[in-house]
Amino acid sequence: MNLAVEMTQISKRYGDVQALDQVSLAVEKGTIHALVGENGAGKTTLMKALYGALIPDSGLIRLNGDRVTLKSSREAIAQGIGMVSQHYGIIGELTNLENLILGAENGPVLTPAQNEQRAQELAQQMGFEFDWSAESSTLSPAGGQKLEILKLLWRNSQIMILDEPTAMLSPQDSDALYASLKQLAASGTTIIVVTHRLPEVFEHCKRVTVVRGGCLIADHEVAEVGATQLAEEIVGGSVIERPTPVSSASGVTSLAVSDLEVKGDKGQVAVKGISFDLKAGQLVGIAGVDGNGQRELFHSIIGYAKPIAGSITLNGDSWIGASIGERIIAGLRVIPEDRHHEGVIEDWTLFENSSLGLQRLAEFSNIGAGQAELAPRMAEKFSTKHGGLNQKMGSLSGGNQQRFVAGRALEIYPKLILAFQPARGLDLNSTTKVYREIRRRCDEGATAVIVSFDLDELLDFCDRILVMNHGELYEPKPEEARDRTAIGRLMVGAA
Amino acid sequence: MVRVFLLLAKLLIRCISSGRDFALKLYRAQRSGDLRKLFHATVLGLAGSILLVASLMVAGANPVSAISQLLTGSVGSASAISGTIREMTPLLILGVSVFLALKAGLFNIGAEGQFLVGSCFAAATMLAVGGPLGVVLGVLVGAISGGLWALPAGYIKAFRNGHEVITTIMLNNIAVNLTKWLVSGPFKGEKAVSATTATLPINSQLTPLIKIGQFELPQAVVVGILLTVGVGYWLTKTTSGYELRAAGANPTAAEFAGVKTKQVTVKAMFLSGSIAGIAGALQIAQFEHRFYDGSSVGYGFDALGVALLAGGNPYGLFASSFLFGALNKGGTSLMGLGIDKGITTMVLAIVIIIFAAIKYRQRGGQND
Repeated sequence: MNLAVEMTQISKRYGDVQALDQVSLAVEKGTIHALVGENGAGKTTLMKALYGALIPDSGLIRLNGDRVTLKSSREAIAQGIGMVSQHYGIIGELTNLENLILGAENGPVLTPAQNEQRAQELAQQMGFEFDWSAESSTLSPAGGQKLEILKLLWRNSQIMILDEPTAMLSPQDSDALYASLKQLAASGTTIIVVTHRLPEVFEHCKRVTVVRGGCLIADHEVAEVGATQLAEEIVGGSVIERPTPVSSASGVTSLAVSDLEVKGDKGQVAVKGISFDLKAGQLVGIAGVDGNGQRELFHSIIGYAKPIAGSITLNGDSWIGASIGERIIAGLRVIPEDRHHEGVIEDWTLFENSSLGLQRLAEFSNIGAGQAELAPRMAEKFSTKHGGLNQKMGSLSGGNQQRFVAGRALEIYPKLILAFQPARGLDLNSTTKVYREIRRRCDEGATAVIVSFDLDELLDFCDRILVMNHGELYEPKPEEARDRTAIGRLMVGAA
Repeated sequence: MVRVFLLLAKLLIRCISSGRDFALKLYRAQRSGDLRKLFHATVLGLAGSILLVASLMVAGANPVSAISQLLTGSVGSASAISGTIREMTPLLILGVSVFLALKAGLFNIGAEGQFLVGSCFAAATMLAVGGPLGVVLGVLVGAISGGLWALPAGYIKAFRNGHEVITTIMLNNIAVNLTKWLVSGPFKGEKAVSATTATLPINSQLTPLIKIGQFELPQAVVVGILLTVGVGYWLTKTTSGYELRAAGANPTAAEFAGVKTKQVTVKAMFLSGSIAGIAGALQIAQFEHRFYDGSSVGYGFDALGVALLAGGNPYGLFASSFLFGALNKGGTSLMGLGIDKGITTMVLAIVIIIFAAIKYRQRGGQND
């Protein structure tokens, strides 16, 4: 076997945390290799070691059989290694061509014509199409991901590391991306994909390595392992089953939205006159590629954004003109998208954060007593790991903050639950637990609306799926309501 | 000989290892928080003292006699303590004013102007009404006028996103000139030669609450203590105080939590200005007994330091305003030694900078 990458017994310690404990990874040249594990398992740390972004405490790295020491990313790039991180680095104000060559210019003077010619060649080779003089802010998430891959090719990367490359893509775009990756692999490029989406592993990757808690757990030929086994290796125990969602929807309309129009932050009309009725007891997922109006819809239902037209009613009461506080009293509970800015106050203790957003409810009429009573329950609900409820929220990891925020949103009689990527930063089983609790609240008569960019997650838990594309709302035909491909087509507007 | 050497070596190794253990323990303890705060307070105190000694030496004074003079002058006798409390009183109340605004995320540089406007209108009211009723109405008018003076800054911040530091500085300048004009014209005392109001009648002057020999406890400082406790309670125990702190700590999260952050900004600015106005009114009724051009020596600016040095805790205002008061009072007695009073101001300023640096480091440390 011809190994492009051979990492042997890599260890890395941060303070008291052993981030990597003698992890080894061997990747065959010209293949797509999956690296899987939950958040905090050590995937990204391992890849950063390969990319020279951090120096391991111990361990060896060999590239194509030669031992190397990578002291910086610059050295790694010189060795032909390239990495696209999860939050990729395309600068919207620059043109696609400028982004492509950023950091790898040929000299002090730019040579656009020459560069464009080479860019075009690379793009054609991959079957991509780009308007090189257009601003990159016009790119779709899929376009951004493709440009990132071209950036690596521009730098002659022979080994590519892609961190969650499909997190923001529709199924169709994901498939197209993997088709390009396969073509690259066939021409000799080695590709390591960090992912938590198991279907992708089975469909597109040759080998898979599982890490958990900083340790190497397993290493398989994909063809020789089953999905259940892989999931259990990732979680480190049995995986909580995800039974087919059963709706407990009653006939009563709870949230009704009609002809809603909302402007986005750039002044564009982001939500274009959409209407829908949700029943009490429904757990509804809104699928779609990021940036298709989900955020603005979400904000207008919360009351954070003012719609320019249309109506929103909950149980017959109009919410146009109602303040956020009034909506919360009526039963609105939110798991926001950006928990740092919208969900918590990091300088405050967990006690203080427990009443944030609920401070006007009767439970907190004596705010200190309410916090003392409810904060422990909110933390316990999804097993938030913390060093005491009087510790600052900022001392918690992102995943634990998310657990606390979810616990808080579901604690006090929710009537309408709005959750934006509620599984963000959560492991598989915690995700299941959060959705189960949302389901339990729906069974009690609440309505839940979940926005997620992960269609599989929505299909796993929601009893009804709507799709947003370019500010319009679509509902798949009844016979295709759970058809992944059909919903994927709606996500990219190819229905 | 060899045995002695071995023994010594063993002892040395034991010393080193126990020293290392101790250092390790200290390191862990300081990571745990409480000890860290104590450690920081000690460092702050030490640094302040060293700076004070060093600057006194640079100034050419004998540090020992200068510091003993400073202590005698500020807390060395009943009359010195009374003087310190007199200095402390406006600083405490203005400290509460700045503190409240800080909790709402606002840096009220305008306390000085609100203090001036409050004391000017309070003096006019007390003189016009007279008697104890005049004092009560005067304090009320002081609160309202101070609050109104801060209000534009609140509105501009909330609805036009104009920074409160800029607007309050501008309002300070207007306040200085407005009050100067008022006491040169409409509010000028009948027999006054300079720009000043008439003196309050005796029955409008607040007497000390307690007077034992040379020691006096003014009523105004009691009001200040009550205000501090009241504001502290309001901020930590009530829903509206909670919402104000949320708006200050993270406006977006507060907005998502149903807090009307714009209204909170306006309200906080008004309240902060009112408290500064009360400080001004009490200053007239208790100590000055008249309003004159230049009657504030910059209490509003010192109060920024008082509020910052209190940290996040309202009760810290007692300690910080006392420290400021003592150094102000003691600094005056340094002049006998030929040392400029300004030296204490300088030391205070450096202490605040060190304090701010420690605070900043703690915040930065949270993210790693």
